[in-house]
Amino acid sequence: MPQNEYMERHRKLYGRRMDYEQRMRKKEAREPHLRSDKAKRLRGLKAKLYNKERRNEKIQMKKKIKEHEEKLQKKKEEKPKEGALPVYLLDRDVQSSAKVLSNMIKQKRKEKAGKWDVPIPKVRAQSDNEVFKVFRTGKSKRKGWKRMVTKVCYVGEGFTRKPPKFERFIRPMALRFNKAHVTHPELKATFCLPIIGVKKNPNSPMYTNLGVITKGTVIEVNISELGLVTQTGKVVWGKYAQVTNNPENDGCINAVLLV
Amino acid sequence: MVLYNFKKITVVPTAKDFVNIMLSKTQRKTPTVVHKHYKISRIRSFYTRKVRYTQQNFNERLSMIIQEFPKLDNIHPFYADLMNILYDKDHYKLALGQLNQARHLIDNVGKDYVRLMKFGDSLYRCKMLKKAALGRMATIMKRQAPNLVYLEQVRQHLSRLPSIDPYTRTLILCGFPNVGKSSFLNKITRADVEVHSYAFTTKSLYVGHTDYKYLRWQVVDTPGVLDHPLEERNVIEMQAVTALAHLRAAILYFIDVSEQCGHSIAEQVKLYESIKPLFTNKPLLVVCNKVDVTPMDQLSEASREALSIFEKNNVPLLPMSAVTDEGVMDVKQQACDTLLAYRIENKIQAKKVDSILNRLHVAVPKTRDEKERPACIPEMVLQKQRLAELQEFKKKLEKNLEDELGDDYILDLKKNYDLPDEYKYDIIPEFWNGRNIADFIHAELLQKVEELEKEEALREEAGYYAVPKIEIDETLREIKELAQKIRDRKIINRNESRISRQSSKPTTPRTAPARARGRSATDFRSRMENLGVDMEGTDDAHFTKTRGRARSLTRSQSRTNAKKPRLGSMHRSVSTSRSQSRVPRNQSGVRDSSMQLKLKQVAHKAIAKKVKKQGLKGEADRFIGTKRPKHLFAGKRGIGKTERR
Repeated sequence: MPQNEYMERHRKLYGRRMDYEQRMRKKEAREPHLRSDKAKRLRGLKAKLYNKERRNEKIQMKKKIKEHEEKLQKKKEEKPKEGALPVYLLDRDVQSSAKVLSNMIKQKRKEKAGKWDVPIPKVRAQSDNEVFKVFRTGKSKRKGWKRMVTKVCYVGEGFTRKPPKFERFIRPMALRFNKAHVTHPELKATFCLPIIGVKKNPNSPMYTNLGVITKGTVIEVNISELGLVTQTGKVVWGKYAQVTNNPENDGCINAVLLV
Repeated sequence: MVLYNFKKITVVPTAKDFVNIMLSKTQRKTPTVVHKHYKISRIRSFYTRKVRYTQQNFNERLSMIIQEFPKLDNIHPFYADLMNILYDKDHYKLALGQLNQARHLIDNVGKDYVRLMKFGDSLYRCKMLKKAALGRMATIMKRQAPNLVYLEQVRQHLSRLPSIDPYTRTLILCGFPNVGKSSFLNKITRADVEVHSYAFTTKSLYVGHTDYKYLRWQVVDTPGVLDHPLEERNVIEMQAVTALAHLRAAILYFIDVSEQCGHSIAEQVKLYESIKPLFTNKPLLVVCNKVDVTPMDQLSEASREALSIFEKNNVPLLPMSAVTDEGVMDVKQQACDTLLAYRIENKIQAKKVDSILNRLHVAVPKTRDEKERPACIPEMVLQKQRLAELQEFKKKLEKNLEDELGDDYILDLKKNYDLPDEYKYDIIPEFWNGRNIADFIHAELLQKVEELEKEEALREEAGYYAVPKIEIDETLREIKELAQKIRDRKIINRNESRISRQSSKPTTPRTAPARARGRSATDFRSRMENLGVDMEGTDDAHFTKTRGRARSLTRSQSRTNAKKPRLGSMHRSVSTSRSQSRVPRNQSGVRDSSMQLKLKQVAHKAIAKKVKKQGLKGEADRFIGTKRPKHLFAGKRGIGKTERR
């Protein structure tokens, strides 16, 4: 009964097949042919995936080859001319005054605008038709005053429904979110943080009231987990973040922290 | 027979393969065509199905992996410990646990996205949701990459473990490295284990099987153990310790008396002392190996002193040499016997035995009188036995001869041949001219040949073989010629048909006109004449009275009523056949004009009746007044059924 490393043992005792080396060599030599055959034969999605992978492989190979070539090359170092500036003196006093000026203006503008600047300044308008679905009510479904929100919403914890007869807007449970993936732009890290509220939905104040979250909406998130501290030493716990994706399409909320 | 089959675990794919397999399976097995003008519910269900299907597949595959790997808590402690040593229990459990976690996560993702999909209001949105769902599942799987790699390695190693049955009769060989454990295993079993003259040749457990008393014995070879505390032992030694600790078996402790292994006898005895706790409650034997190098009686005083411990403890000490085979069988037999005795004793002590013993009853009949009743042996048999005794002196067997002659003996089978002595040693070829000679050998061959020849001669004399002369007269010759002609014709016909059949051309070309009918009375007459039939006086014969085939009159009618012929075909003769279109439906199957007339009348009446009854405008009127009459379709349904009101 074969047990443990029986293959290695067999090889040790009897060696490999006589033509092993040759077969391996041939197999290796045939490899490109098989590859090209496969590339020609594949169709559709499989072909797409295969070609993409192969392309990446080739890029890597070329990079490697180039690296080796560079290693082999003998570089000729140019000798500096007489009277040339050394490297550590190169950047001194060469800045033109015009550049300084323009930089200053830019800086000022930035500061001025900074207060209201958000990562996504322009937002596509969302019409009522898009956001709400008319909900037919009544015995013979003739009345149409009810609306169902078809976008992702934030509903506060203390929310209690009105009696269904008078409730104009329905916010389905499946579309209620209370967590968002918030990226800190300076830390370059993302955290899953609880939402405190919807600060502003640029499309309409009504959406803001309803807590509809679409792309570009500014939400307030609880960042006490991050442990950020104000200048006076208090822990910051609420901060604004802007939604950067279409939550209704992705099934999650991604946002950038406004700092 | 095999308790645990670790070879059956299916391959664990890498994370990348895993995702690829799952996604392409979804692509293969779910519908792929959807359009945005479809009803939204249809689009939703289309994408929901994809998400759900992928999630189910992930779930199934992961469950399979989790289930197939042995659970450390459920398997025999020997295997559990062995796996702990080889693969690290914590790591193993963690890997499986994380897969389980991944399975849950994937399930949740699937559930969430299916819920979200219910509110998808466009194809685009549904599609994006599907994409996000599958993407998240793939990401979860990607995080499991190291676990999958680890499990695949474990699987490969597991499948190569020797299948040791922890419950059967087992002998365990243990001792210092390089004392000859593996050599002993090779001697008594067919397991082909590596043996070398350096320490730690055996790095893991090996198993072999041997037979004794018609029973199957499992022999486990363990790697050598060094004498140091348990914490310092490495993986290789720990395997041996596991086997010793968990297998209820006879233990053969090997001692190298020649001290070639690099450890003195005193050291080896010390090791025995230190791992003694592992031997409690097990039959134990100490085997002194390599006695061919240092026989037991040439041992030094100190080593004898060391070995005397065993005698004090009543542990049998057996000398053995794997090289010269001295004592190997003794060791095996004694080990097996002690183990068997020990196992039986254990079994008898166990509670289970009582219930069986109660049912057992061996009946021993009492002697009813003083009369002797010996076994009855027939007279013939006794005679034969006596004869056999005598014959032993008479006949010399080949074996006796061999013993006598020794090396000069040559096996000679030919001397027993039933032939005269001069022929006995003749060389006879087995084959001659491609024929097997044995087929042609007959006891009375020559005699039979002679008899046959005589018979033949007699026949020849009697004129049995003479060819009779046949006279041919005129008529016979004519018949013969005709027959020849017929035969020739037949052959020609056959060849022609064969040739025509061979051609792959279509039998009727598409452009060819309809074939004119070839048969006619004149043709028939000439052909018959050709064949030699006398056709005189048949002018008024029956076959000349032909008439058109019995067919509907439509044909002839259509010919006469044919539409105005085209200009080109004006002067075409009537007899040329033309392609004929299908007969109009109202004329097919109608025998003659009278019948047609009658049919017309019948049809007219029927149509008129229908038109009158339904108030139609004419034959072609298909008007339906109210498609869904209100009184039939509206309102509450009281008494009665839907279809009867």
